[in-house]
Amino acid sequence: MLAYFYTATVGAMRSETIGRLESELQTLAVAWNSGGPQRLEQSLLERAFVRVRDFTYQLETGDGDIIIGDLPRMPVDTSTVFAEPQSVTFEIERAQPVGVPDISTIEGRIVRLGDDSVLLVGIKMDERIMLVSRVTRAVATAAPIGIILALIGGYFSSRYAARRAEGLSRIAEAVMGGDLSQRADIGETGDEFDRLSERLNAMLTRLERLMASTRHAGEAIAHDLRSPLSRLRNRLEATLRAPIDREIAENTLEQTVVEIDQLLATFNAILRLSRVSEVSTSKFSTVNLSELAGEMAELFEPACEDSELSFTAKISPDIQIRGDRALLAQAVSNLLDNAIKYTPSGGAIAFELCRDPDGLRIMVGDSGPGISVDDRERVKQRFVRLDEARTQPGSGLGLALVDAVAELHHGQLILGSSIPDNPGSGLLVTLKLP
Amino acid sequence: MHILVIEDDREHSEFIENVLIGAGHSVECVGQGDEGLLRARSENFDALIVDRMLPEKSGLRMVQEFRAGGGVTPALFLSALSEVDHRVEGLEAGGDDYLAKPFAPAELVARVEALGRRHSQNETPVTILKVGDLEMDLLSRKVVREDTIIDLQPREFKLLEFLMRHAGQTVTRTMLLEKVWNYHFDPQTNVIDVHISRLRSKIDKEFDRQLLQTVRGAGYCLEG
Repeated sequence: MLAYFYTATVGAMRSETIGRLESELQTLAVAWNSGGPQRLEQSLLERAFVRVRDFTYQLETGDGDIIIGDLPRMPVDTSTVFAEPQSVTFEIERAQPVGVPDISTIEGRIVRLGDDSVLLVGIKMDERIMLVSRVTRAVATAAPIGIILALIGGYFSSRYAARRAEGLSRIAEAVMGGDLSQRADIGETGDEFDRLSERLNAMLTRLERLMASTRHAGEAIAHDLRSPLSRLRNRLEATLRAPIDREIAENTLEQTVVEIDQLLATFNAILRLSRVSEVSTSKFSTVNLSELAGEMAELFEPACEDSELSFTAKISPDIQIRGDRALLAQAVSNLLDNAIKYTPSGGAIAFELCRDPDGLRIMVGDSGPGISVDDRERVKQRFVRLDEARTQPGSGLGLALVDAVAELHHGQLILGSSIPDNPGSGLLVTLKLP
Repeated sequence: MHILVIEDDREHSEFIENVLIGAGHSVECVGQGDEGLLRARSENFDALIVDRMLPEKSGLRMVQEFRAGGGVTPALFLSALSEVDHRVEGLEAGGDDYLAKPFAPAELVARVEALGRRHSQNETPVTILKVGDLEMDLLSRKVVREDTIIDLQPREFKLLEFLMRHAGQTVTRTMLLEKVWNYHFDPQTNVIDVHISRLRSKIDKEFDRQLLQTVRGAGYCLEG
């Protein structure tokens, strides 16, 4: 292809130029042959008078004295010049009246004549020819090297790809076999394989956690609901065994209904909680959080007043996010509800919605007993109730739901204290959202 | 009320039947969408209770077809799916209310009764609501009882309006949260109760007759 490129473009030009050079040399050779050195010198003199020409001439004696010449000296060592014409290529500089000197590439033929003199005839090569021939030469040298490098590179890169792909497929097999603890290796280059591996690992971690929490929830449900049901059963049985007293029987039955309702509510809460993780983020709509917060504040304000708690709400306007309105409302409601439940009378609850450098924050702070640092992670789990809370009604699912809603919205639930580092100063719950 | 229950789970439909009969209504049960459609069209029911998940023809389709054929009987969907968008689907199919399983019996009764009332009230829009000697003018936003003007906050007004439109019926806390605050979640503690007691102190305290009653285990009822 290169050869075609060459011949098609400048090969033809070059042939023509060389042809002219050789026929000029031929002409001068004929002159020398027919008329000896004088005839040659005359021919050269005639030509030398032409100022602007393509040809360059140099005639020197065997000792190196210039007879006729355009050049200061021969461009090559003449000791190697014999009767057979040789090719020689050189450059000459021609000063210009204005600007930089003009550099030309000369293609020449140099030959030793019968009387030991040396004749050089050169023709100026068109710049285009020189350029293309240089480029062609460079490519011809580089090409084989390039091909070899490409082959080597290709070999290594396909081995790398095969290795990474195999690693990932091994993980997939492990997962299908039930082992969720495997994670893909992540290299340091940050290439597509690394990114894929990272995402795969995140997915596996989430899956692992979901499965663990499902198992845990099953146990916790059984454990936590067994007690109230046993209690109910015992009470009903005791009432049956005792002498029939209509009033007592009625009371027992009423109480039973109330407790069963509470159990049903707990079941509902469990179902709701497990459904949070099933909500697909593609079903999200635009939620005006400022409005939601305002409505929640309005909803809970009387309850606060009723419990003799002061309630302040600071809500930044025009905050909107993509999310699930019902779930966000439920989460905020759970937080406010907790605050009211656990803050003793005379205390204060502060509710805030504001922007953050990296998103936004919903905060509910109270002046209650707070949560100790050790308990903070635990309390987000399902059914975990701290000892202090056992006397309050509730299923232990409130914070678990808020945590799940936070995660669904790519946010975070953070538990802290109203005064930093002072857990007893009251709980400060922060729901961070992007 | 005469109610048609379309539910394929025999145990569940018996449970619903008992609850409704216990509340003083008459009930018919069928287990299939097509049969339900036929009966709803041919007989005169006050309300339909339709399970979303039915074999062969889904509850949604059944109500859709019923409405397409001109049926106006109010319908309540029962479903194991409770996300808000499923609720919207149910309402768009022509349902009037949507209740997720498991539900409290009192909730079911309250909602069905509310549907029945809506059905009969459909004809003329009212501008004045009256319960006992309590009067609400919807145009001027004025509430008067025994010639005393009662000053209400906007939310309190909305709450009272809902109670008055459902006068004589039990209204649950969940219904109130849904219709007065437009939120679908389970209210805890006594969040709604406190709003009710504030309203009560305005419309009932200074007067002889207590109109706003608490129905234990269920909710509230405004009765003249």
